[in-house]
Amino acid sequence: MSNAVVLDDDVMEPTLQSILDQKTLRWIFVGGKGGVGKTTTSCSLAIQLSKHRKSVLLISTDPAHNLSDAFNQKFGKDARLVDGFDNLSAMEIDPNGSIEDLLANGPEGTDEAMAGLGGMGNMMQDLAFSIPGVDEAMSFAEVLKQVKSLSYDVVIFDTAPTGHTLRFLQFPTVMEKALAKISQLSKQFGPMLNGLLGANLPAGQDINSLTQKMEELRETIAEVNTQFKNPDMTTFVCVCIAEFLSLYETERMIQELNSYEIDTHSIVVNQLLFPKMDNPCVQCNARRKMQKKYLDQIEELYDEFNVVRMPLLVEEVRGKDKLENFSKMLVEPFVPPPET
Amino acid sequence: MPSLLFVVFALQLSLHLINTLGVDTINQLLWILYNKLPTPTSSAAQKAQVLKREVLRLKREMGAVSAQDDFARWAKLRRQHDKALGDYEKIDGSTKAQQTKFFAAISTIRWVATSGTRLGLQFWYSKQPMFWLPEGWVPGYVEWVLSFPRAPKGSVSINIWDIACASMIALVSEAISAAYVLITKKPVPKAEPVAMPADLQQGKKEL
Repeated sequence: MSNAVVLDDDVMEPTLQSILDQKTLRWIFVGGKGGVGKTTTSCSLAIQLSKHRKSVLLISTDPAHNLSDAFNQKFGKDARLVDGFDNLSAMEIDPNGSIEDLLANGPEGTDEAMAGLGGMGNMMQDLAFSIPGVDEAMSFAEVLKQVKSLSYDVVIFDTAPTGHTLRFLQFPTVMEKALAKISQLSKQFGPMLNGLLGANLPAGQDINSLTQKMEELRETIAEVNTQFKNPDMTTFVCVCIAEFLSLYETERMIQELNSYEIDTHSIVVNQLLFPKMDNPCVQCNARRKMQKKYLDQIEELYDEFNVVRMPLLVEEVRGKDKLENFSKMLVEPFVPPPET
Repeated sequence: MPSLLFVVFALQLSLHLINTLGVDTINQLLWILYNKLPTPTSSAAQKAQVLKREVLRLKREMGAVSAQDDFARWAKLRRQHDKALGDYEKIDGSTKAQQTKFFAAISTIRWVATSGTRLGLQFWYSKQPMFWLPEGWVPGYVEWVLSFPRAPKGSVSINIWDIACASMIALVSEAISAAYVLITKKPVPKAEPVAMPADLQQGKKEL
């Protein structure tokens, strides 16, 4: 808490210490444009968090899974401990795949019920999944269900670079209304449909079970929404590099997150060049100058954010040891060598 | 009470004016006037105007600032712009609903004041002669037409007077607009003959 006092009366400190200290956090999203070092940042953050929490789960929702590359270890759909850690697990899920899985071999015979209903079931299904963002919401709901049963202290999402991962949060009311309407419709016409389709239905199944499924889905999505909109439980870490396009996208993302009411107060600026004094590399010096310009802009624009500056290393950040070294810089600010 | 002859004429004239000016123009004009008065919608409409100007100003300012060179300033302007635009759209949406209501009311009032009154007068005074024609001016069957449908024979009925007024107004207005075009029209340059190669002209002739 003493930290918070310091934060209030002075400039925001350039580390992610505040996230480590905020023990109530359950969901942390790491996002940004492609190729700015999201995966490296999320892995580093996960490593740092594993030192402060009982158990940490790192989930990649990026279809181009990079966690395996970062840790030099194969990860799959199920949470698996990362080598060398006893409280850090990782898993890779495909947000589009999981919805299909869910439909194909959903529990309690969802598919059978759908098939049993013939055209009607498919129509309902199409109707439900034509709502924008519902597939993402569903996959998140599914992940959350899984994660809940596993009881992790904190879950870090390494999101896809499209930036539409959280699109569904934009339509919560619309979606809830639509789903409510669908379930109401099927409630009203359920008996009639049952009468019509009665002969086609397998024993013990009727339209009511479908309605129930819809209702459950609606409730899960509502719950996901409330959790993600709670700044005590969820935060978003923006990753960018000191370049115009990346900065532009970051600004847009932050505004979008604001409109979804998702808390975000940290920016990680990756790949910064700190050339040594009287460095003969013309390109490096020119780039450094450009990066400096955008860093100044970031400082001016995001004075209420923790802006973390990460240097560009001369080696790829892969494997546990290198990631651990890199992750230290998220907590202790990197001290650049003196410049001319 | 002014003479019925004049009332009918004035009604036709106002109908014609409304049709030439356009219903939408008149509606918009009345809406602006309505909002100038201390009405419940005027404050919202004024706010929308202010916001609209603000959005335009910010847009211009944003265009003047280079996003690459001065990103922080540009982004701050953009935030203001987005906020102002959002506010404007919200206010504008609610004003639009009230505007629709206002337009509906205006349309009703306009119909009652013009077409409705006209129909009412035609019905009410259908048996009354507007004026009498000197006897023997027109043949009997024309007298019958002029007194159509229910006015006494030898007089001009309100319906016929109405039609006469409408045709006269239409004719005069057309004459005025034609005269206006004639006076203000610029001479159109005449198309000059273009020199064409001989063989081409030959080809034309053969066709």
